[in-house]
Amino acid sequence: MTTVKHVPIVKKHKKRFNRHQSDRFKCVDASWRKPKGIDNRVRRRFKGQAAMPKIGYGSNKKTRHMTPSGHKAFLVHNVNDVDLLLMHNHTFAAEISHAVSSRKRIEIVAKAKALGVKVTNPKGRVTTDV
Amino acid sequence: MSYPASSDLLWEITRNNSSFLVKRKTGSGVRLSRDPLNLRNVHSRKHAGAINNQAIGIVPSGKGGISLLTKKKGTGATISQSYKPSKTSRKAYVQIANSTTKKGYRADLREDAISRASALIRSYRKSVKPTKESKPRGSKAKASAASAASADL
Repeated sequence: MTTVKHVPIVKKHKKRFNRHQSDRFKCVDASWRKPKGIDNRVRRRFKGQAAMPKIGYGSNKKTRHMTPSGHKAFLVHNVNDVDLLLMHNHTFAAEISHAVSSRKRIEIVAKAKALGVKVTNPKGRVTTDV
Repeated sequence: MSYPASSDLLWEITRNNSSFLVKRKTGSGVRLSRDPLNLRNVHSRKHAGAINNQAIGIVPSGKGGISLLTKKKGTGATISQSYKPSKTSRKAYVQIANSTTKKGYRADLREDAISRASALIRSYRKSVKPTKESKPRGSKAKASAASAASADL
């Protein structure tokens, strides 16, 4: 289940980019919109203003989509999907799809364990003792 | 069609759409293959067993054994050899290499064939390490400690 050695994962900007003035008006949603106004100080990159997203913040291609464990998530819906990862258990981790029942989740987790495949959400839908 | 289509043509037809192909949008848009004649489950020209004239497959054969699949001209995939579970898996690897690579049959797939056989045999073994029980941390640890203390009283 260990991953292949890789260059360290660097996230250049961990905080979300919030839309300009979304903190001031509740009708302005935080989802990023590029400011387009002629006088806009964020667009003109004045000192002390919020940073705008740009391509330079992108992750290294080698570590893009990687979880901290070094795996990439692969969505599985059934046991047969886990079989696909037999030869890729160092690069991909199985992620059980949200609509899978708890009974089938148990089968998937058992299969993944036999094949040495990491499951990112093995505790999903597990009933805790009441 | 009276004549067999070439592998190149078949690959061009199946490379973007095939029943074996599994695409995922997450994890850098990976493309895998369910083809039993695909040793690494990678959707690529080299590993696509359905379209190549010669191909090797290693599949589980019940009761902890594995089977070697190869293709014969005109017949498609046939089980050429099956290996029963044994204590030493090395014999199976030697036999796989002898019956394919040594005969000049897809020598490029030897390493993949043996690593797949090895991975399958390993998956049949009962795991030696039991899974660790996770220790609660943070607020959950405090809650469990409190409940344990109250149980003592």
